Amino acid sequence: MSEVEIDWPWQYSFPPFFTLQPHPETRHKQVAAWKSLILAYCQKTKTYIIDVREATQFSLFNNSAINRKLEHNVIVSILSELQKTGNAAAVDKAKNRWEIYWHTLEEWASMIYEYVSNSGMQNTVLTLYELVHGENSNGEEFNGMQQEVLLKVLKVLERERKCEVIVEDDMQGAKFF
Amino acid sequence: MRRRAGVGAIQKHKLEQEKYKDKGNEIQENQFEQMTKQLEVFKVNLEEFASKHKNEIRKNPEFRRQFQEMCASIGVDPLSSGKGFWSVLGIGDFYYEIAIQIVEVCLATNDKNGGLIGLDELRTRLIKARGQSKQHQEISKDDLLRAAQKLKIFGSGFNVVPMGKGKYMVQSVPGELSMDHSAILQQAEKNQAFISVSYLRRELNWEIERSQKALDHMVDQGLAWIDLQNPQERLYYIPSLFAPVLMLPVNLFFIHYLI
Repeated sequence: MSEVEIDWPWQYSFPPFFTLQPHPETRHKQVAAWKSLILAYCQKTKTYIIDVREATQFSLFNNSAINRKLEHNVIVSILSELQKTGNAAAVDKAKNRWEIYWHTLEEWASMIYEYVSNSGMQNTVLTLYELVHGENSNGEEFNGMQQEVLLKVLKVLERERKCEVIVEDDMQGAKFF
Repeated sequence: MRRRAGVGAIQKHKLEQEKYKDKGNEIQENQFEQMTKQLEVFKVNLEEFASKHKNEIRKNPEFRRQFQEMCASIGVDPLSSGKGFWSVLGIGDFYYEIAIQIVEVCLATNDKNGGLIGLDELRTRLIKARGQSKQHQEISKDDLLRAAQKLKIFGSGFNVVPMGKGKYMVQSVPGELSMDHSAILQQAEKNQAFISVSYLRRELNWEIERSQKALDHMVDQGLAWIDLQNPQERLYYIPSLFAPVLMLPVNLFFIHYLI
């Protein structure tokens, strides 16, 4: 994974930040700080999927400068908190693989829909590749979006009857209305 | 053969004693009157002085401190008198304004430091939020301490914790801090914001139980964070003493009620 410059908050260099705090109020502040740090990190690095088993590979959960790591079960509990606000979802039952939504699926959906209508691409079939890897969407935040996440976003639009996902053999596409 | 004292002699003695007593009272009263007069004169002079140097008192922190000391020596507290002469002068208002601003700084930094802030950091942040002009900048630590003391009237929510060597911390969450807690803060301050049971044993010669009890209390107050990832032993961190926290910008801008 390529490392981009992250604007780490002060907590990241504060060793006890990596130990879940026993005092409820302190823990509340700690978890809140972790939640916003995770989202900010994923947004900056365009990380759509976090596998908790490989968490130590992310500088996010492993600050080697102070030799502190966030434990597996703590990461899971914080991600579960993010799930409550629609900012994350466990992909497997064991809660190892997580999708991270720094924008909720609904927010992504309206961003993509706005893009499609602004560029007058309604009523034509776009392949999913075109949609998020095409040159047209180069400057858009959803450019490079993970396919699984994209499908979930399109499902939101489908429910709103703003699009239809079309699967044909090896081609996946969508038509917007 | 000794003559026993007659009734007349006793009465005479009694009368003499009463005369002495009266005289004594008279002298005392005179002296008291004299002193009251002197104090009165002093007070008048002080008031005159104060109104003459009103601006100086407001602008110059050293002047302010000396003026406060003069007032204290004759038992006048310009901060507590909201009415009459002193209110016209606005000295009390000056400190009330500072007190309100202290509360605001404490609230704004609470989520970072858990409600405990060093007087130096408090002063830096307060001055920054007061704006550019010179008279807004000249706030001494003495001013802050006086204003912070006034906040005690709101109960245990505000407290000034002496740390020794002229250092103080202002605590803005309820809960008493004992001498042991101040000692821990002092140790943490010179040790990059963290301490441990063995550290306190080494530095202060404290028994394990004593350290543990005090440290647990500080965790319970939200003033200390636990770090379990140090291989040797559990560490306790005080965020309000952690250097990067002191540098953090906080969005605060005061409206000046006065001047």
